[in-house]
Amino acid sequence: MNPETATPRAPGAPAAAARGGRLPDHLIVAAIELVGAWLLAVFLLSRTTWLIVLVLALFGAALVVMRLRPAIEERIVAAFGRARITALVLGGAIVLAYPFLLGGNSYAIHILIIGQLYAVLALALNFQLGSANIPNFATGASYGIGAYTSALLAVTFGVSFWLTLPAAAAVATFFGFVIGFPSMRTRDTYLALVTIAFAVVVHQLMNNFEWTGGPNGLVGIPAPSLFGHSFNSPIEIFGYRAPGQANFYYLAVALMVLSIVSARRLHDSRVGLAWNALREDELAARCQGINVVWFKMLAFGVDAFLAAFAGTVYAFYVGYISPDNFTFLVSVTIMTMVIVGGMDNAFGVIVGAFLLTMLPEKLRVFNDYRLLFVSALVILFLILRPQGLFPQRLRVYGGRK
Amino acid sequence: MDPFIAQQLLNWLVLSSIYALIALGFSLLFGVLDVIHFSHGDISMVASFVALGSMQYLLASVLPPGSGLALLLACLLAIVATGLLGIVIDWLVIRRFRHAPAMMVLVATVALGAVVRELIRTLYPQGSNPKPFPALIEGSTWIGGVVVTSLGVFIIVTAIVLVSGVALLLRYTMLGARIRAVAEDRDVARLMAIRPNRIFAITFFIASAVGAVGAMFYASYAGVVRFDFGVQLGLIGFSAAAIGGLGSMPGAVLGSMLIAGIETLVQATLADGASYRLVFGFVAVILVLVLRPSGILGKPVFVKV
Amino acid sequence: MSAPLLQVRDLTIRFGGLVAVSEVGFDLGHDEVMCIIGPNGAGKSTLFNMISGIYRPTAGTIALEGRDITGMPAHRVAVAGIARTFQSSRLFGALTVLDNVVIGMHARTRSGVLDALLRPRRARAELREAADRAADLLRSLSEDLWARRHEQAAALPQADRRRLEIARALASEPRLIMLDEPSSGMDDRDTDALISDIRAVMAGRPGLSFLIIEHDMRLVGAFPERVMVIDHGQKLIEDDFAAVRVAPRVQEAYLGYKAVHA
Repeated sequence: MNPETATPRAPGAPAAAARGGRLPDHLIVAAIELVGAWLLAVFLLSRTTWLIVLVLALFGAALVVMRLRPAIEERIVAAFGRARITALVLGGAIVLAYPFLLGGNSYAIHILIIGQLYAVLALALNFQLGSANIPNFATGASYGIGAYTSALLAVTFGVSFWLTLPAAAAVATFFGFVIGFPSMRTRDTYLALVTIAFAVVVHQLMNNFEWTGGPNGLVGIPAPSLFGHSFNSPIEIFGYRAPGQANFYYLAVALMVLSIVSARRLHDSRVGLAWNALREDELAARCQGINVVWFKMLAFGVDAFLAAFAGTVYAFYVGYISPDNFTFLVSVTIMTMVIVGGMDNAFGVIVGAFLLTMLPEKLRVFNDYRLLFVSALVILFLILRPQGLFPQRLRVYGGRK
Repeated sequence: MDPFIAQQLLNWLVLSSIYALIALGFSLLFGVLDVIHFSHGDISMVASFVALGSMQYLLASVLPPGSGLALLLACLLAIVATGLLGIVIDWLVIRRFRHAPAMMVLVATVALGAVVRELIRTLYPQGSNPKPFPALIEGSTWIGGVVVTSLGVFIIVTAIVLVSGVALLLRYTMLGARIRAVAEDRDVARLMAIRPNRIFAITFFIASAVGAVGAMFYASYAGVVRFDFGVQLGLIGFSAAAIGGLGSMPGAVLGSMLIAGIETLVQATLADGASYRLVFGFVAVILVLVLRPSGILGKPVFVKV
Repeated sequence: MSAPLLQVRDLTIRFGGLVAVSEVGFDLGHDEVMCIIGPNGAGKSTLFNMISGIYRPTAGTIALEGRDITGMPAHRVAVAGIARTFQSSRLFGALTVLDNVVIGMHARTRSGVLDALLRPRRARAELREAADRAADLLRSLSEDLWARRHEQAAALPQADRRRLEIARALASEPRLIMLDEPSSGMDDRDTDALISDIRAVMAGRPGLSFLIIEHDMRLVGAFPERVMVIDHGQKLIEDDFAAVRVAPRVQEAYLGYKAVHA
């Protein structure tokens, strides 16, 4: 896991800070990444409830400490900003080695894959919800359209996974614009309802059409392969072995990197500013020359694009999909991740996604009460910390002094 | 009139009535509290379970078996209980979001709905399984080739009575005036010695109680009830209220009739109609909102019955 | 006389049965300042809304440098060179002061989605350069605002909010800037500061024209060359401040018929 910060740092930042940073920065970065990775491994691998709860409590305590002493958070963020090379290299190494560090535990890797897929979905929604305040309940539908498109192409026409990716993205983005069209005229609650209606319609159609497999969905989606290496077969490097899941783990990581980079680039650009402007005051935004209709449609398109990628990976990973994987409740879950994690904050959104995927999985001891517990937790969270775990950060351009 | 068409018209009216009772709650809550209470459908559905549970209890312990009285008492109890539940929910949860942005309240109430559903599922014995729900009124007659069930007539009549009742309450009573005042501007209402929190509680009671009636009718009409029926019913009720124009009572009725009409039409004309009724209904929702972005009779102010 | 920058002819707008603005017409040249005054509800802001593209007029035409912009959507009017402020400063509160001004430059920058995603360096360079210009603009307007450029806009006091709004409007390098009651909520001291700010802007930007809606006669008195009076959606008179003040029709509009003719 690579805790990229959300603070943009323009390349032209003052020279003193740009060159590698000071030793303490590197140490802070290394410490946080290593300890974080270790704790995450403990969390994922452990079977004893109290240990899991302990790790959660530590995480919670860290958050509380940062809230009480904002200076600490600033220091950490600054460290990551200055020691970027270290952060990226070390983080990258940890991420790449992680399946092996987990001792090849299939279940743990599985959770990480699902967590990352949801993180991608949450990042996709973040463009609309976080940056532009468009309540989109149809992300699940885009997710599903992407999954079904690629699955159908693979199962019916034998198209390779790698070719289905762009196809799925194109189809989903098209439908993203289709749903974006009514967004021009509707507002707030009514807009939310339009997206919900769209999600329900898509779900029902998936359920009813025969060529989508009906309620039973599609099965037998073949595993992708790369240069002859099938994604179902285990990976062996230097005598270390990781199960077939690891292939999909790396695929998910690639997708995550793509999403994070896109999120960063868009947020720190004229586009991101335009979205924020139309979120704050649509009328004033129009008077600054911002074509609000275009930017809203764009948000829908970008969301659908990334969601389709996630859907495709999911379809090929699990090997079968059914309409119930893509209900409007799934969209709500994604929305919760964005709101709990922190709107318009890429890092927060990722954390939110991981939390809300991993918690229910690891707290299986509660089993029957899982959904109840998580839902209650969400409500509690919204009451106590509505701005989310990691609220939006103000932009700093590193402008002239 | 062709009996088939007459039959469909009757079905349409019954379905409209059921939906209207739920939609009313959504519109009322939005108009007065400015809140999209997503869990309204789930909370209303609690009534069905309370009714089932208490009916079985009454029959087992207090009343002779086969007694229609048990059902009646159970239903009344369920209505009151659900109304009170609405007040409790408001006091515990919704109240904290009075000044929060709309998206947050939306997500919170969706989560709330999940909590309510899960509580039903875990607390009610074997909650995950669907339970048969008794017909509130038995019997049917034939009129000119059309099967008219007593239940159907009862539903229509009750809906008309309740909707009109709430409308009259709002228009002609002191309480109604206070509710409308709070709906317009709660701070100014406070200056008139009206306590918004109390009005909110009353509004929640009315909305939940009426919703309870609607949910029980739905269960009775379907003959069966399951813990997650509230989701779909709530979604339809919300859509009906929205396309009619949130905050407008005639709008809620109009929206319900529209959605019920499409469902009935699709079911009657298409071969596989039953599975497509939702599709057409929600496509209609999208179309209406694209053409009339604030709903057909939409106005942010909740008044003018 | 040079060709007019703005030509408004017979501009009318009806909301249902209500005629909010009726057959208003005027010319505004380059480097000119015109104040628009009139009682509350006279239709002055509605006039601005039509010119800036927020409302579509029912009848009449608006031409900017000979080009017909009647009914053009607001974002294109901004690109065409008309900027405005609002009576209740509509700032982007959660964003920084600098962000607000950079957004003001939206019309003059070009990076789109593909640029941001595929040519990030170029996109970032453009944005950084815009930020630098924005910072300079802020500094030229107010040293204090510039010092607070990384703070949230919502945290600013009233007078600074106005200044920020003006800075944002200037960021798009407009040919015409419309100020809607810039001094509302200000006391005399702040108003005087505002007047000198506006004068400084005029001096630094030759060729820029101003349309100012105002209630505060102090400010109108500072720019008295051309004043137009609107009442009940109609143009009563257009002259210099001295003449307008004593015109009986104007006094009637403000004080009522009886007060003037008693």
